[in-house]
This record gives sequence, C-alpha cells and structure tokens, in this order.
Amino acid sequence: MKKNNLVISDKTFGLIGFQFFFVFISFISLIYSFIISDFSNETVYNNSHTTKPLFYKITGTWGNHEGSLLLWLLVLTGVLLGFILKSRNEPNNYRLLTTLFQQIIIIGFFIFVLKTSNPFNGIFPVQTEGLGLNPILQDPALGIHPPILYLGYVGTSIIFSAALASMISNYVNKSWAKNIKFWILFSWIFLTGGILLGSIWAYYELGWGGFWFWDPVENVSLMPWLSLTALLHCILTLEKRELFKKWTIVLCIITFALSMVGTFLVRSGILNSVHTFANDPSRGIYILTFLLVLVLLSFVIFVIYENKNFTQKSEIFTLSKETAVLINNWFILYFLSVVLIGTIYPIFLDVILDEQISVGPPFYNKLILPFLIPFVLFMSIGPSMKWIKTNFKIGVKSFLVIVFTLILSFITVYYIGEKNIFVLLLFVGFFYLLFKSLDQFREKTKNFAQIFSHTGFSLLLISILLNSFSSKEIVKNIQVGESFTLKNEKIIFKKIAVVKEKNYESIIGFFEVLDEKNKIINLQPEIRIYNEPEMATSEASIKTTLFKDRFITINIIKDQNFFNVRYQHKPFMIWIWISTLIIILGGMFAIFRKNKKVNI
Amino acid sequence: MKSKKLLKIKILIIFILIFFNLKNIVMASTFSEEQTINITKNLRCLICQGQTIHESNSDFAESMKKYIKGEVENGKTEEEIFSSLVEKYGQWIVYDPGISRNTLLLWALPLLLFLIGGAIIGRRILKKI
Repeated sequence: MKKNNLVISDKTFGLIGFQFFFVFISFISLIYSFIISDFSNETVYNNSHTTKPLFYKITGTWGNHEGSLLLWLLVLTGVLLGFILKSRNEPNNYRLLTTLFQQIIIIGFFIFVLKTSNPFNGIFPVQTEGLGLNPILQDPALGIHPPILYLGYVGTSIIFSAALASMISNYVNKSWAKNIKFWILFSWIFLTGGILLGSIWAYYELGWGGFWFWDPVENVSLMPWLSLTALLHCILTLEKRELFKKWTIVLCIITFALSMVGTFLVRSGILNSVHTFANDPSRGIYILTFLLVLVLLSFVIFVIYENKNFTQKSEIFTLSKETAVLINNWFILYFLSVVLIGTIYPIFLDVILDEQISVGPPFYNKLILPFLIPFVLFMSIGPSMKWIKTNFKIGVKSFLVIVFTLILSFITVYYIGEKNIFVLLLFVGFFYLLFKSLDQFREKTKNFAQIFSHTGFSLLLISILLNSFSSKEIVKNIQVGESFTLKNEKIIFKKIAVVKEKNYESIIGFFEVLDEKNKIINLQPEIRIYNEPEMATSEASIKTTLFKDRFITINIIKDQNFFNVRYQHKPFMIWIWISTLIIILGGMFAIFRKNKKVNI
Repeated sequence: MKSKKLLKIKILIIFILIFFNLKNIVMASTFSEEQTINITKNLRCLICQGQTIHESNSDFAESMKKYIKGEVENGKTEEEIFSSLVEKYGQWIVYDPGISRNTLLLWALPLLLFLIGGAIIGRRILKKI
C-alpha cells in the first residue's frame, strides 16, 4: 500500500510540473501575441494598439479580464509546483491531498477560463488595428502591480488546500505549521507589496494626492491581507505551542474565501452597479457558485474531522503570548468585518430594497479609528509577553518610555495645531507602539521579523495620521504668467509647452515654486491626450523631500485660456511608502530565519 | 462573575472612545474654503467613477463646488448642506452613510461581532482568574 502510494505520488508530482509548464507556455504565447500585436486574437484586439511602447504591450497582457485570469491560473499552478518542491520531507498523504484540493481549484478556474473568458478567442475578419489600453493603466507601477498582487492573492489558495489536506491526514501540528508558514509569509509579503504598488499608483496617477480611498476595489485586497495577518500570528502559536488548531484552519479557509470573494466582486462588474452585473451574469455567477462549492466542501471536511483529529491539551494563562495573539486576532477580525460589511452591505441594500447608499471614508474612520488605540496598546505589550506564562514587572525603563511617549505626542499635536483629545490619544498609542517596538532591539534574543514589521506598522500609522492632518492644498484657475501662494510659498506659472510622443500628445506646464528660503523648485505637471483610445489624463508632478511632498496637477478648462491648477503639500508621504517597505522587510526576515534553522 | 465585570468595563471604554470620535467629526473649521473642501471631500461625483466632488474636475463637480461654497458663505452648516443634497440626489451622493433605518445593520453588525468575539475570547482567557 505504502509503496503504491509512492508510485502514484511520483507520477502525480511529475504531472504538476507539466501542468505548470503548459500554462506557462500559453501565458508566454499570449504575451507574444501582445508583443507582435496579433489582432486576429480578440483579447489583443480589445486591449492593445501598435503605437504603444513595448512595456505596455506586455503589461497589457494582464491588464484585462481574460489575460488576468490566465495569470490567476499561472499562479495557481505555480504555487502548487513550488509547494511540492518545498515539501519533500513532508508526509506523502499530506502532499497528495494538498495536490488534490489545489487541482479542484485549478480545474474550476480552467473551466471558467474556457467557458466564459478564453484569452485566445479569434476574430474574423482579422483587424489591422487594436482598440488600445486604457491610458491610466499605462503606468510602470500599475504594470507590475497585478503580477505582484496576484502572487499574494492567489498564493492563499495553497494555504487553503494544505489546510484541508492537513485536517484529513491528521497533520495539524507543529511540523505542519512550520511547513505552511512559508506560504503564509510568501502570500503576505506579495500581497503587502501589491497593495503598496497600487497605492503609489493611485497617489501619482489619479491626480488628487490621495493613496487610499476605501474604494471597494482596494477593500477586496485589504480583506485577505487582514486575515493573512491574523493567520500569521496564529500559525506562530501553533508552531510553538500546538494551540488554536481549529481556529487556524478556519482562518486558512476564510483567507482564500476572501480572495475568491474579491475576484467575484471585481470580475462580475457588480461593484459598478448591480445592473451591469445583471446584463452579463455568467462570469459572476460561475465564480460565486464555485466559491460556494469550495466553502461547502471545506465546511463538510471541517465538521467530519474536527473532533476526530484535534486534541488540544495545553491550557492558556491570562498573561501570556497566547492571550496576546488571541487579542490580536480579535481586533484584526473586527477590522476585517468592518471592511467586509462596508463593502458588501451597499450591494445587498441595492438588490433587496433598491436603495443606493455610499459607504466611504467616514464610515471606516468612525468604526476603525477608535478601536485602533486599544489595538496598538495591546500590540505594544504583546511581544514582551512570554509563551505559556508571563510575570509582569513594571520597571523604571517602561515608565520612561511612557513619559517619553506622552511628551512627544503632546509636542506633535501642538505642532500640527489639532486641539483634540482623540487625535492626542491616537498619537500616544502610535508613538508608544513605535518606542516599545524599537525598545526590543535591546533584548538578547531579537526577533527581527517582529521588530521590523511592528516598527514599520507604527511608522505607517504615524505617517498616515500626520499626512491627513497637515496636508495643505490650494486650487486656482490661472493663466500663464500668473502666480499664487500657499503658506510661505509662491507658485509661478512660467509657460506651457506641447510635446508629441508616440502614443500621446502632452501639454506640459512649467511651474516655479519659491519656498520659504527663496529656493527655486521646478515642477512640470502634464496633461496627456492619448490617441488610442482617445482620452485625456493628468500627470502629477511631485517633488519629494524627507518631510514633505510638493504635488501639482493641471487641468484644462473648456473653452478658456485658464488652467485649473491644484497645488498640495503632502507631509510625510515618503514615510508611508518606506514604512510599508519596513513591514515587508519584517516578513522577509521571518522567511530567512526559517531557512537558517533548516540549515542547522 | 469577575469576567462579566471586565467585559462591562471594556464595553464602557469602547463607547467612550466612540463618543470622542463623534465629537471630533462635529468640530467645524473656521474658514469657508476649508469647510467647502471638507464637504466636497465627502460627496460623490455622480457622473464619475469612484471620485469625490473635491477630486473631480468634471462640469458637474465644478458647479457643485461653486454651489457649496456659496451655501457655506451664506452661513449654512455642514449638516444642512448634506441633508439638502441628500433630498435632491439621494443617499448615494454622500460618502457618509449616516445612521438610518436602512443603515442600522451596517453600523451595528461589526460592533456586534466585536462584542461576540470579545465574549468568546474573554471566556477562554479569564477562566483562570
């Protein structure tokens, strides 16, 4: 029996390599069709144009529904191959079952691609020119955003498959945690990176200086991120203490389900309006049905194996790292529920009562910000908790940290001129987290992964808060030669120039900013008029310094000589990006640390 | 017994925090320019896709900006402006869903889930005290 199993598995694992290879070939073929502008292909015809630069011909491959689904498939098969290669020392049953569940997902998506969204549909007669790619997608950050995001997003599929497999093969234990931790970190790092790229793109391409708007499309990437973050903390507990087995499995399932929900929401068109969804429901209904089947499947497996294979001997003491992880999960799942309900509630309200509401930033601010304060406080003390049991000592040093935090918070609040106790409390929480995280550098056994990601997270919160409170902006309609002022700066509109590029025509405005010290800063915002499809976009011009971004955009006002100029000060912008990179660095430390242990 | 008490304290803290936040939102700024921006940042540009009136340069957004600036200068409060716009264009135009019969669940569900989660975790970790 055992031997038989091994033969089966060897063949299966060989076939996985083939599967990935063939999907890879078809993906490369699609890229090739885009490069050579093969307009006998419907996808290429709809989304490309001969005058586009090569880079955007290539990124156009996944800048559309059909191509992006092929990318989905590529990642689905790719992570399975990666999983099989990385899990050579794991039990055979576990590897086979993971393959089985992953194959169910893969086959589901194969059928979806073939039935509703074949990227290789031909058109006849063959067209000589394509329809072009939406100009706002013609951007370097957005070019690489989908592959990075998908690696994280679709990477969660292998976590789902492995969770189901581990349940059936009675493998939910320390070694499983060690094995799957890599894939959780892998997905988490890429998802964080993908979200970062998306935000950077929104910041300079959408032209209003914001980087996050609680838009449903953003929310669907945040939801799996939140659940992955909760899962990441749980899997560490499982690895160290064999605790929270059931909950970890549930989180694995939730995470992938959220990725599917996101795909459904984005791909079905239901987000724009329930009516566009009603016009072409085939895609949406397929994903939704498939999602329900997967959730049902995992539910059945969970119920069958729940009591059989899960024995939990260890107890939890109130003051312990286990408690800290539980509290972490409690808050993160709350934030997740806010985002989830805020995203799908309007859809239900529209379908059931035919009432349209908008759920925007005010909703999320009100429900998330007040909870952020206790969350960061727990987050500050959590890491100094010990596994099993902690004896708390409040020494002079921890007292000093508190005093220092309070002083700095008061100074900050005074400096930005916000006389509000709630804002003060937010700063106190965020600074406390920062100092407590940095404080851990002094410890003997440093956990760099945790120090970096927590420090990065606190810096991120502080930068976002500072940014939202001390951003300044001015909007003016002016002609060439005129000027205006913002704070102590004088902004002069010098001249206008028109430049012709291959795929667009550009109107460039030349601006000079005289700052407080009378230093000249040059800014050149553009209006681009793309030829295929014909569409105007506004390109911001940004000068980044350590503490402040200067951000300017121009727009044409119809039938007038005036330009609409928007000039902004965006403080601490670069710190938002840097702190997210620090968070990612933390994740990389965690992966690196694991490898080091394997070598020993 | 003790665990119940702790839970009650937690709930109390949460409500206090929410209260502070609401106060924060009511605080009005002094300049009409700033107030106009605050208002238009929370209004949806009806003819654009996922943009606020503040961000958009469409004709609709531009005329709305002028209209709202006029209203602010006439001494109308933020709330009055919002409610008159909702009356005219429907709840869709404001990004703040507000609390009404239709949105009660929207606000209550996450908070309810938080309390349930807290109760489950509380029972688990406070058993030993």
